[in-house]
Amino acid sequence: MDVGFLVDTLSQLMRGVPLTLELAATSVSLGFILALALALALETRRRFIVWPIRGYVATFRGTPLLVQIFLIYYGLGQFRPAIQALGLWGFFRAPFWCAILALTLNTAAYGAEIIRGGFQSVPHGQIEAARACGMSRLLAYRRIILPIALRQALPSYGNEIILMIKGTSLTSIITLLEITGIAQQIISQTYRAVEVFACAGAIYLAMNYLVAQLVAVLEYRLSPHLRAPDIETQAAIEGGLH
Amino acid sequence: MSEAPAIEPKEQAENGERPAVAVIDLHKSFGAVEVLKGVSFAARQGDVVSILGPSGSGKSTMLRCINLLETPDSGTIAVGEETLRFAKDRNGRVSTPDRRQVERLRRSTGMVFQSFNLWSHRTILENVIEAPIHVLKRPRAECVAEAEALLAKVGIADRRHYYPAHLSGGQQQRAAIARALAMQPKVLLFDEPTSSLDPELVGEVLRVMRSLADEGRTMLVVTHEMAFARDVSSHVLFLHQGKIDEEGAPGQIFGAPKSERLRQFLSSAK
Repeated sequence: MDVGFLVDTLSQLMRGVPLTLELAATSVSLGFILALALALALETRRRFIVWPIRGYVATFRGTPLLVQIFLIYYGLGQFRPAIQALGLWGFFRAPFWCAILALTLNTAAYGAEIIRGGFQSVPHGQIEAARACGMSRLLAYRRIILPIALRQALPSYGNEIILMIKGTSLTSIITLLEITGIAQQIISQTYRAVEVFACAGAIYLAMNYLVAQLVAVLEYRLSPHLRAPDIETQAAIEGGLH
Repeated sequence: MSEAPAIEPKEQAENGERPAVAVIDLHKSFGAVEVLKGVSFAARQGDVVSILGPSGSGKSTMLRCINLLETPDSGTIAVGEETLRFAKDRNGRVSTPDRRQVERLRRSTGMVFQSFNLWSHRTILENVIEAPIHVLKRPRAECVAEAEALLAKVGIADRRHYYPAHLSGGQQQRAAIARALAMQPKVLLFDEPTSSLDPELVGEVLRVMRSLADEGRTMLVVTHEMAFARDVSSHVLFLHQGKIDEEGAPGQIFGAPKSERLRQFLSSAK
């Protein structure tokens, strides 16, 4: 095994980590905001709001991310005059922003479904209790429904974040030199695909392990009410039953 | 039909005293099923009204109409200063009440549910201070002090930092009563408060309710606890198929029931 080559490759690939993280962090953040807005809009249950969102979600969940990236970067390029007229060419000309747009729209579609599931998991009785004490709809969402729904959605959302980090590798196809893009460059120079991709995979693995751990910590800290009580509490409950 | 009720269900009684709660000619249907077929009654300040009836008689629906968790099809509901009138328009559509008025009315009614409905992500203390701080916009320190006193009163002060899931059913229901009291409501509504409790936990909740009655709080209680209705309430309503079949003082209802249906109900409840 050529340890020197592996170390060299790893250090070159590490230069792609900031871009990978930038793509993932930006699209996951923007995607979450959009997903939350869409999930809240679905809660209105108004047909003219719900149907367009369902169409959007179906489209972005039903087509490959790779196709979406292609269509946004190359496809929209065909409408250059119109986009220029709108003054948006600077945005759509840049592969980075096209990647952000594709990733954001993709994750928001999944995110909206995850958060919608969270809303559905909020026990109806707890919403009624909020209404019964005179909370406005907005206040009930802010104080009761959203906190419960988002906590419930967190495990699935952690999954989605990991999928997005891996999804950024597809942006190499539109010339972005993130981890996978750099890997392909090295391979085209060295023809040593196995070692290079193994190194790239190891970097993704390490990043996603960290993200999974962070989500697990967040989950633990936000869910004291869902855990079995600690021994002390348990004893007090038993004691309180007589 | 029964004889005249204890006080006339009018928004304003003859002597100028406004009842704490008045319900006039309340109608409510779910789809084609008419659940309430014109219910009227009134409760004075300090009354404890027990509402009895077989399942499906509309007693829970009636209670839920009073704080507008269900919107009546027609009729009038008055709690304290708030009066809401409902009527179907020409197309048979139910009027939507003014949201602000509904919220005001709900602030003056405390609701205790059959299944407690404590907010699972907040501790017992947080459950009790939630609405006073965020709905009534009162200072936090004041709300915490009051909440602790209320939790002591219902006997679970030592559980204030626990989450609802970590308490027994009886403790959860007592916490829910404290949560309702924290809004300083004009009237307390109890929707079968002991029906989902294990038999050995029913007593602790009824004891708390009894002490509230002794304090002179106005309470409407949908219940299957005949002993509570007989011993604690000042007035008993018996609902049957969406109508008040018989009402009166507990002595009269339990001692000398007039309607055959009430007699049957009481003998089967024993």
